Amino acid sequence: MERPSPDSPAPITGPPTRRKAGPSRLPVFGVLAILLPLLFLPLAAVFVFAGRSGWSGFFSALSQPDALFALRFSLLMGFATAAVNSVIGTFIAYVLSKYRFPGRDALGILVNLPVALPTVVVGTSLLLLWGPIGLLGKYLDPLGIQPMFSATGILLAHVLVTLPYMLGAVRPVLDTLEVTYEEAAYTIGASRWQTFWLVILPALRGGIFTGTLLSFAHSLGEFGATVMVSGNLRLRTQTAPLYVFAQFEAGNIEAANAVAAVLAIISFLLFLFLQRFARRPERPEA
Amino acid sequence: MSIVLSDVTKRFGDSLVVSRVSLEVRDGELFVLLGSSGSGKSTLLRMVAGLLLPDSGRIELHGRDVTYLPPQQRGTGLVFQNYSVFRHMTVAQNIEFGLRIRRTPALRRKARREELLDLVGLSGMGSRYPDQLSGGQQQRVALARALAYEPAVLLLDEPFGALDVQTRSQMREALKDIQRRLGVTAVLVTHDQDEAFELADRIGVIDHGHLLEVGAPDDLYFHPQSEFVAGFLGGGNVLAGRAEGRFIRLGSVALPIPEAATEQEEGAPVRIVFRPEFVVVKAGASAPKDGVHSLGRGRVVRRTFAGALERVRLEVQGLQGARPVTPPLEYGQRGTPIEATRPASASEREPLKAEDDVWVGIRSFHVLAPSGLKVLIHVDGSAVADEGAMLGLLLGQAAGGPTTLLAVAEESQQVEEWQRRLEEILKRVGAARSPWLQSRVRIGKTVPEVLAEAQEGFYEIVVVGGPARGDRRNALREELSSRLLAQAQAAVLRVKRARPQLKRLLVCTAGGEPGKRDVVMGGRVARRAGAVVTLFHVDREPVSPEEDVRVKRHLEQGAAMLSALGVQAEIRSARGPVIEKILDESAAGDYDLIVLGAPTGPGSGRYGEIDHMAPVLREADRPILIVP
Repeated sequence: MERPSPDSPAPITGPPTRRKAGPSRLPVFGVLAILLPLLFLPLAAVFVFAGRSGWSGFFSALSQPDALFALRFSLLMGFATAAVNSVIGTFIAYVLSKYRFPGRDALGILVNLPVALPTVVVGTSLLLLWGPIGLLGKYLDPLGIQPMFSATGILLAHVLVTLPYMLGAVRPVLDTLEVTYEEAAYTIGASRWQTFWLVILPALRGGIFTGTLLSFAHSLGEFGATVMVSGNLRLRTQTAPLYVFAQFEAGNIEAANAVAAVLAIISFLLFLFLQRFARRPERPEA
Repeated sequence: MSIVLSDVTKRFGDSLVVSRVSLEVRDGELFVLLGSSGSGKSTLLRMVAGLLLPDSGRIELHGRDVTYLPPQQRGTGLVFQNYSVFRHMTVAQNIEFGLRIRRTPALRRKARREELLDLVGLSGMGSRYPDQLSGGQQQRVALARALAYEPAVLLLDEPFGALDVQTRSQMREALKDIQRRLGVTAVLVTHDQDEAFELADRIGVIDHGHLLEVGAPDDLYFHPQSEFVAGFLGGGNVLAGRAEGRFIRLGSVALPIPEAATEQEEGAPVRIVFRPEFVVVKAGASAPKDGVHSLGRGRVVRRTFAGALERVRLEVQGLQGARPVTPPLEYGQRGTPIEATRPASASEREPLKAEDDVWVGIRSFHVLAPSGLKVLIHVDGSAVADEGAMLGLLLGQAAGGPTTLLAVAEESQQVEEWQRRLEEILKRVGAARSPWLQSRVRIGKTVPEVLAEAQEGFYEIVVVGGPARGDRRNALREELSSRLLAQAQAAVLRVKRARPQLKRLLVCTAGGEPGKRDVVMGGRVARRAGAVVTLFHVDREPVSPEEDVRVKRHLEQGAAMLSALGVQAEIRSARGPVIEKILDESAAGDYDLIVLGAPTGPGSGRYGEIDHMAPVLREADRPILIVP
């Protein structure tokens, strides 16, 4: 099938000739060639456009009240999502990993479903439940309680979408903790609660930290579900990604790019941090 | 006593993991529970620690009943095979954990920690984290952690299993030393016999949940009571012969019964054990020396180099009639296998190679406690079950093993009535109760109770009444039989009408792959009852010549093995409908017992569904032994 390429090794007959040391670098260049239009150039474009009108233009675009609000609001949502997730995610992971009950495997798959669902679908489903005409929302609406189109709705959507990342970070750590780990604590005299607090939780520290960062990062960039449940209200429920989209639609490319660049930088820093942390041994001070 | 276990039993679902274990561990003793994996030794240890609750029985620690206490309130120190040292704590924090939980003041904690670091040989390493330590060091931390709060007893679950050989031997020494110094009572679980010998003050050998024997290491090694212990500790040769006056008859050889051995009945089976290092092998035809019992001439099957020792597998002729227990008789083998070891110096002086003719003797041997086939007889009040009891008692007598008559009462008020009934049966056959013949009434549902008794008591044959016309208990008996075969791995003897004797056995191997277990079981029964065996094979249809040759060879090998057991055997085969042929043969030959192998594979154990079993059972009026 294959035709010999010009630099293929010498034919089998005859004495061995000089060969290149080490494998060919060609595949590496191939990867770079693929990634250039796919990854590097788009990233560069954000910064190039953001910096077009110089630092002053960049800062003035950022200091728009709308832009500032959107960034602050997104960071707040990110922190809230991460905080809520670190508690309920750890709890769910602990129960799924350490308790044996019928339907455990099914539940384990189900809680990971949001990662496979289109985020728009997640948003729609929340609207259909909590919205003013939703299954539950229609009873809450007359009482003046409106979870949708508010920070609560966004938090709900973000927690739902990022929960699988939290579980994915914590559960493997829990699964590798042998039963004997807890049993050792019990025989030594620690109660169930002491065991969880003093033995299990510290062992999960790394996983919880990773999961929290991942939740934060995903919350920061969440678009599909947010656009459905937030109502995209300026200075009230508009997150940074929504702001970027809105400004872009309106033709304010510079305003959009400034915020996009900030988002990219935050994500980049978070990512670097995660990478470094993941390589560190799990010890408190080392 | 530090630990007292009484009748501790544990099941996981249908399988019996720990069966009526009673054990006392003395103060300051290092007790080793020795058994292969799955023997229930770890389960037993975890019940002492409180990580598992026993189904029945009682556990006491220093006189306190802790059977149902949670682990936190027992104060045991447990060391696991996988160390389970807390990874996020330093060595010091690990060791202090138990003291922190107990709110010991910091100063006392620190002092105790330093003391223990010193004791386990880790001084100066208190601030390290577990991942900076080797496996052996981590296990030392685990040991110190378990000792810090002065536990009532120290429990170690295969503590050195994950360590390399060199570290392991260092750790053994360290453990022994520490345990001695602190005087703490310790129970160590292991499958490693060397470890048990090296560490133990006393050893308990456990198999399939049964604590078989307890004793000092050398006592168990040189004077085991049971076949299993003899074979499990150090590997040994166990031969079974018969008592003849003051001698043990092993084929053409007669060995004097040692003074210390328990009284042997004339003609009863006697099993002797001798260690491989007590076997004397001499090349050539030199005469036996003084003080060596000759076993006769044999040949070298193979020799294996094993470092300081050389292992030699021998096959000795002329012991026909002596049943080798370990090493097991290979299917079709005629001679008696004997395992020998020689020091390297001897193998240099007098090299041996395979097929060499040698003279074999033994320097000394030990007589095992008598045991035969264990027979359980289920009595349900019906006529067929009573017939079964008759034959079962006859079989039990012939087999020379313990026999138990069992009835299951639905409620406790009926217990006395059942006891009277069992007495009556014993009286009718003129048998007196003895340690070898007991009756027992359990309370509950028939099938699970009989199954439980069969498993707990390690019975090899369970007698169940045969199907009787119009008896509503038939279905129950069917279920009982199939579950006994599948779950208790016991042979089931179905009896419609008792026979006055057990002189002629028919072992059927019909169609497909002829079984081996049925031949062996038939042989054991025949050997004990002094019966003759007919190996009978039926082919449904004409078979290919190769198949025919294969079946013939299998039957011949079976017959050869039976004759090696000292059982007279003949081969018969027939062609035609399997059931009819078996029924014809059983009637024509006037057999006392038909032996059938239970089918294996899908639906295994549910013999009611399988072709030839059910009709034979229904039609034949002979007792049928179904072998799992």
